[in-house]
Amino acid sequence: MSENTIGKKSIDWVDKRFPVVDLFERHLSKYYSPSNINIWYLFGFLLLIVLVMQILTGLWLMMNYTNTAEGAFSSIEYIMRDVDYGWLIRYMHAGGASAFFALIYLHMFRGMMYGSYQKPRELIWVGGWFVYVLLCAEGFTGYVLPWGQMSFWAAQVIISLVGSIPYFGEDLAIWIRGDYIVSGITLSRLFAFHVVLLPILIIAVVFFHILALHEIGSNNPDGIEVKKHTDQDGVPLDAKPFFPYDITHDFYALGVFLLIFCTVIFFFPEGGGYIIEYVNYEPANPLSTPAHIVPSWYYTPFYAMLRAIDFPLFGLTAKFLGFVVMAAGIAIFAALPWLDRSPVKSIKYKGIFSKIFLTCFVISFFVLAYLGSVPPTETKNLLAKVFTFLYFSYFLLMPFYTRFEKCKPVPERVGEAA
Amino acid sequence: MRKFLYLLFFFSPTILFSAGEYRCGLMECDNFEANVSDKASLQRGLSTYMNYCYGCHSLKYSRYKRVAEDLLIPLEMYEDNLIFNGSKIGELMEISLSKDDAINWLGAYPPDLTLEARLRRPDWIYTYLRNYYPDSTRPYGVNNKVYQNVNMPHVLEDMQNSLSVAEYDQVIYDLTNFMTYVADPSAEQRKRIGTYVLLFLVIFTSFAYMTYREFKKDLK
Repeated sequence: MSENTIGKKSIDWVDKRFPVVDLFERHLSKYYSPSNINIWYLFGFLLLIVLVMQILTGLWLMMNYTNTAEGAFSSIEYIMRDVDYGWLIRYMHAGGASAFFALIYLHMFRGMMYGSYQKPRELIWVGGWFVYVLLCAEGFTGYVLPWGQMSFWAAQVIISLVGSIPYFGEDLAIWIRGDYIVSGITLSRLFAFHVVLLPILIIAVVFFHILALHEIGSNNPDGIEVKKHTDQDGVPLDAKPFFPYDITHDFYALGVFLLIFCTVIFFFPEGGGYIIEYVNYEPANPLSTPAHIVPSWYYTPFYAMLRAIDFPLFGLTAKFLGFVVMAAGIAIFAALPWLDRSPVKSIKYKGIFSKIFLTCFVISFFVLAYLGSVPPTETKNLLAKVFTFLYFSYFLLMPFYTRFEKCKPVPERVGEAA
Repeated sequence: MRKFLYLLFFFSPTILFSAGEYRCGLMECDNFEANVSDKASLQRGLSTYMNYCYGCHSLKYSRYKRVAEDLLIPLEMYEDNLIFNGSKIGELMEISLSKDDAINWLGAYPPDLTLEARLRRPDWIYTYLRNYYPDSTRPYGVNNKVYQNVNMPHVLEDMQNSLSVAEYDQVIYDLTNFMTYVADPSAEQRKRIGTYVLLFLVIFTSFAYMTYREFKKDLK
């Protein structure tokens, strides 16, 4: 390109007023990622795409949704039947919620496997954890909006948990609901949270998460700091620019993801009752409780923990203790950077105990997910207790097993032997 | 390969079974395969619905016109024969039965059935309507194997008695097929568009893959 083309001139014009070139280089063409990152590093990009999709489809749903107890249920059917392609927008949004959680769990597991939360990436991890918490709230508030039976009763159960807090719990629950039971008042405030407060917070924290990441750079499956070895210009040797090398990989992954996602929303939009629960096709009825109240699949591990605690202790009710354990199950992820005392990052070089405990964590997550989705029995409740214990032991014993186990030496450079 | 297995493992949702009693009450649900592109079957089902069910059960999320168009019924013919309460063709399919009357006469307000096939699933409806049996202890002299002590009388009793088993099964098949359609009227359009979307994505993904592979060569 010659010096004085229109394109060059306009970029110069903008650049003198706003640092476009600098931003492009800093975040894309001169943002370096380790050369050994693998398939596990694609989920962050996909999550960003899903976030954008949820915001756009949500915007279009909101154009036709009615946030009152009288109108909510039929407005969903109005969207599904009378709005042009309303069914598509709604299935994308409902399926998008499930995709969001599936991807964020994979993304979090990647971090746990390769120790991406370790120094100096503690704030990236905590920011990401906060996005997950906000997403749980976003998912819950969104689930209430169709105002079907499961919407109503899930809201009733979850908000009643707040009521189990000693002394002021009941008053707090009434304050949250704005009523003595979940009602139209509750629906419209959850709607306000779902479409304004929570999305703004999610976007803000995601922005922080990415900014922090781009400052430090990605970890990698070997847990090597690639910035330690640079050429004379300060470019890491074991790295490649994000643009075009990672972005092309990400677009390929996007294609594969969309193939799976579109197969689901066009051919199995209810996901066998896991994306849209069948019971939710009955309008909310405060006088009739469904036989089994089950949360969406992505909350079931924590729901199983809540139900596992069925005994009072130290004068506290079982319900309150269950609530505390459930909240702790979500909160404890944030503590990972400080629980892990290992000298190495990646599971590849950690000792046998780290491997055993991580496997136990994955198994207990899946078993609890199953147990939280089926009606409880005595055996299943016992299993839930055992696996809740196993789940927490991964975190709480981490300071000990990571310090005393024997780790393998980490190579200095990517592709080298230690 | 190992990576692929990892992915498969995490993408496959936990396989979940709910144990316990049958989903169709005292019996297993009979097999039912809907075919919503069989317009003749849907038309027969609609006619049974309008003549036997619609007196009590509204389809209030659906519109007459949409049903007429989707089932290829001329609008005028539809208006003349299948709208009983003077509604306009663009209106929702509400019923004239008032809540108070229904509670006086029947003890309960018959539920709207627009979404019944999504709520209870088509095979449940198909099994339910074919499993009434005489029971003198019940107010209408009938009971149901799928829905024990149901309030609803056996509305199709006369029809069942005058038809062979196979003929009655066909009537219920068509009715259930229609209810499956009306619960999810966009299903056909959805699958048609979905096929094109997937075809496009196969092409998109192939090009994305080739671009990725091309750039990857630089790094070797």
